[in-house]
Amino acid sequence: MTRLIEQQLRARAHDLLAGGAVDLFLGYRQGSSPLRVAPFVARAPAEAEKLVWNPLCVPNLAGALRKHAGRRVGLALKACDARSVAELLRLRQLAREQFYIVGVVCHGMADPAQVAASVSGPVSGLVEDGAELLISAGDEVARRRLPALLLAKCAACASPTPELYDELLGEALPAAGAPPADRFAAVRSFEALDPSARLAFWREQFSRCTLCYACQTVCPLCFCKQCPLTLARDDPRRQTREPVSVFAYHLMRAYHLADHCTGCDECERVCPEDIPLSLIYRKLELERQEPQA
Amino acid sequence: MSEPFEPRILGLLCSWCAYGGADTAGVSRFQYPANIRIVRVMCSGRVDPLFVARAFEQGADGVLVAGCHPGDCHYVSGNAFAEQRFARFGRLLDFFGIDRRRLRLAWVSASEGARFAAVVSEMTEELRALGPLRMQVP
Ligand code: SF4
Ligand code: SF4
Ligand code: SF4
Ligand code: FES
Repeated sequence: MTRLIEQQLRARAHDLLAGGAVDLFLGYRQGSSPLRVAPFVARAPAEAEKLVWNPLCVPNLAGALRKHAGRRVGLALKACDARSVAELLRLRQLAREQFYIVGVVCHGMADPAQVAASVSGPVSGLVEDGAELLISAGDEVARRRLPALLLAKCAACASPTPELYDELLGEALPAAGAPPADRFAAVRSFEALDPSARLAFWREQFSRCTLCYACQTVCPLCFCKQCPLTLARDDPRRQTREPVSVFAYHLMRAYHLADHCTGCDECERVCPEDIPLSLIYRKLELERQEPQA
Repeated sequence: MSEPFEPRILGLLCSWCAYGGADTAGVSRFQYPANIRIVRVMCSGRVDPLFVARAFEQGADGVLVAGCHPGDCHYVSGNAFAEQRFARFGRLLDFFGIDRRRLRLAWVSASEGARFAAVVSEMTEELRALGPLRMQVP
């Protein structure tokens, strides 16, 4: 599936760059291992060949757009990234005229950890075959169905067709009536715990937080020029990872994003300590859906 | 260890009403617990939830945000705004397992000294029962 999209994407990026419609085209290139892709900016038609599209194109490109203010930018967006861009447009952080958006219908992204766990050695190759992935590690080849390897956010994605685009690649999927997995199951069961258990859970989770602020840096909706929650490097609270300060950071960040988080889960993906931040951000989404008294 | 727990409360009081109420309580010699430390702000709408989070971080067990009665805000709608944002913030506190009674919103006019004293007494009792806030691994 994605092979075809990749070819189309390269062709479109090439033409847009060659025709002068855009100054640069933002997408992904193959990263340092078969399990990694990296955001990539093609600046000349010839560079369009380096673009890739596959089930590992997870990073949200929305966060990088403000860097390119004032330039004409072409980019490939999947549905969840398009939601972030739509929110940034709504908040007037971006100018719509600046972008030429190639929307890509998404069949879900694979969880690299699960892909890696499918074979015994380090993954040396990854090929798509219909709805299946052929994962190789040396001579060993495992064949797994993509739906079984999806990221949690993809398994629970309600609308895989971007809501915002200038042109669409792939076949628009009818919006599934109910998403395959309940997006809020984890939040609901967490909220069923009693308050002291909730407090103990977060205390425990946050005890690993190093205040590296990767979660804030990666977040497309954390666009403040100066974040009042970020402690300076030489702040003693940061150096000692003062537990109450860590707690206050996460509490306040949740409050700041209460209206804006689009649930892309980038914060959780980049957290080096595997803190389950998506639980917090899914809660915000639930709050918005079910306004309470 | 057997000493009763004395909560520390930060009071953020609007200059036009609640702060006046606290003053009236003092002038009229209404007794209220010494657990509260008061900071005057121009309006309850000025209170950023970050102030509350920082207060908890710095060791407060509870925060009282008090302002003018609905309709009486000197800046028209600051108190309505405060009510909205703290309702949301309270739900988040709850999600993180922090009892939302640790954050109290109250409307007290400048003449309501007795009411101010009652609010502080009630909150102090409530926090005594809740015990210290523990955001760190004990
Ligand atoms: S808080 Fe996390 S999930 Fe929400 S928009 Fe930011 S990175 Fe995405
Ligand atoms: S945490 Fe809050 S202040 Fe900091 S960048 Fe994000 S939204 Fe802005
Ligand atoms: S990325 Fe993880 S470790 Fe770093 S500040 Fe965020 S929660 Fe803490
Ligand atoms: S001035 Fe008192 S609440 Fe606004």
